Amino acid sequence: MALIQVDNATFSYGKERVFQNISLEINKGEIFSLFGPNGCGKSTLIQCLLGILNLSGGTIRLGGKDVKSMKPQEIAREVAYIPQVHEKSFPFKVIDVVLMGRVAYTGLFSIPATNDREIAEEALKRVGMIHYKEKPYTQLSGGETQLVLVARALAQQTSILIMDEPTAHLDFRHELSFLETIIQLVKETDITVIMATHFPNHAFYFENHNISTRVALMNDNKITVQGSPLKVLTADNMSSTFNIQSKVLSFQWEEGDSRQIVPLKTL
Amino acid sequence: MKKVLAYSAFIAGPLIIIFLSLFIGRYPLSISDVLNVLGFKIGFVELKSSDTSVNVIWDIRLPRIILGAIVGGSLAVSGASFQGLFRNPLVSSGILGVSAGAGFGASLAIILFQNQSTYIYLFAFSFGLLAVVLSYIIGFNYNSTPTIMLVLGGVIVSAIFSSLVSLLKYIADPYEQLPSIVFWLMGSLASAEFQDILISAIPMSIGIIGLIAIRWRLNILSMGDREAQALGVNIFLVKGLAILFATLATAGAVCVSGIIGWVGLVIPHIGRMLVGNNNQVLIPVSLSLGAGYLVLVDNLARTLTGSEIPLGILTSLLGAPFFIYLLKRTKGRGW
Repeated sequence: MALIQVDNATFSYGKERVFQNISLEINKGEIFSLFGPNGCGKSTLIQCLLGILNLSGGTIRLGGKDVKSMKPQEIAREVAYIPQVHEKSFPFKVIDVVLMGRVAYTGLFSIPATNDREIAEEALKRVGMIHYKEKPYTQLSGGETQLVLVARALAQQTSILIMDEPTAHLDFRHELSFLETIIQLVKETDITVIMATHFPNHAFYFENHNISTRVALMNDNKITVQGSPLKVLTADNMSSTFNIQSKVLSFQWEEGDSRQIVPLKTL
Repeated sequence: MKKVLAYSAFIAGPLIIIFLSLFIGRYPLSISDVLNVLGFKIGFVELKSSDTSVNVIWDIRLPRIILGAIVGGSLAVSGASFQGLFRNPLVSSGILGVSAGAGFGASLAIILFQNQSTYIYLFAFSFGLLAVVLSYIIGFNYNSTPTIMLVLGGVIVSAIFSSLVSLLKYIADPYEQLPSIVFWLMGSLASAEFQDILISAIPMSIGIIGLIAIRWRLNILSMGDREAQALGVNIFLVKGLAILFATLATAGAVCVSGIIGWVGLVIPHIGRMLVGNNNQVLIPVSLSLGAGYLVLVDNLARTLTGSEIPLGILTSLLGAPFFIYLLKRTKGRGW
């Protein structure tokens, strides 16, 4: 059985339809990318997967359970979320931010216990940020903040990680080191990753690293194609979705064969 | 070790201030007087001091000092909680209109019932609660309470009640009622008696204990509604509880003390400079600082001149320069 099963999902804000009749199956241990133009409904679909927004029609099942019937606490034990933009309000210490990932495991009137602290520190070690533990997280760079949010998600000890354009604000190096962290995680922990992205090459990047990867192309309120990166991210599909001309390149370098898609010009 | 010392200082500080404040005032008291009277009242020594000492310590100074401590603690804790909840460091305990509502209730009671304190408490408390309920209803929208809507609700409701207070001042009798209204609005602990403490301490304690109980969840609410929910928090419930507890604490404080500004805004910031922004630590520390601060300021209010100086005037007049000093010393770190 699929870990996440979406059947005929439809969502609208009042009369405005955001997406309709979306069906997906996401399996354990894969990286599933949602790819599509701005405003195609990726973020809305993600919020429906997280139970923050409710579908207008259809169902989303997490491990066989309908998301609609689950409490926030139950969902947060299955799915962790890394937002697109995180608005920092107070200069909490890095460790205190990561500890927030433990809230789904603590009672309404309690505070995190020693073992929660250990789990949080373990998560910080995993993303290589343990040295920043006592620093105010408002002083971190965009890339470091994103890693802290990954650690917070890991502290939730979920089997699914959902990310909304996680590298949108990162520079070249931080983007790569973020992707490397994700790859290492998937290989070591068998976690399932769902990410909305504007970079088709992320999907190729995961495939180049031999991780089971699928892409769903969203456009015009629905999913137009889904499957392996090679099948979905073609010059034809790019042209029909974005009105651009592009080319998929294969090349060799020290670490083996790689594939990337290069945008050439608008049509 | 350092932590243990710091924590004991935060617990012992207000208690020491309360004890020392018993000596401050017109009527001079010796240490043996104070210890003897306290011991006698608790019931394990015989009375050696004069009856006047008993009266001054037990009936006049102690109730007022204890009330000051609880009121200061309530305002500071609810201010700190609201700052976290609304993700805004400029918010204070009156943000949802509780002070404006209580001001109107008290003014109305003064006009209707000629200064009977029981009615003033009752009206101030009820209208304080009513104001928050109205703000909440205005802010409630599609089964949720977006922060910005709540803040706007609070601004609207405060504006309405402030105008109504002006209206009452305008129609009040200028010789009897108007001065009472004005004095009440400036805040004072002068009327404190044990019976007042007992009644108003109930909502204040429920509020303080409740906020301390959910203090860690306040951290998570300050991440914003969407992230907090994704982390597994029932935001509707926790936000509602935070507003309920903070309102009980503030309304309980305002109804006996009148409007005392500044404590609910600045004490939490002093706490942030000392111990950081983690509400798990900040909320209890705000309680300690708020309690100590208000008792100290009230000592000045009742002894600085022959007659009482309204407390609300002194809290800001003394607090502001101290806050500037702290800001300059810490160079605004902690924000």
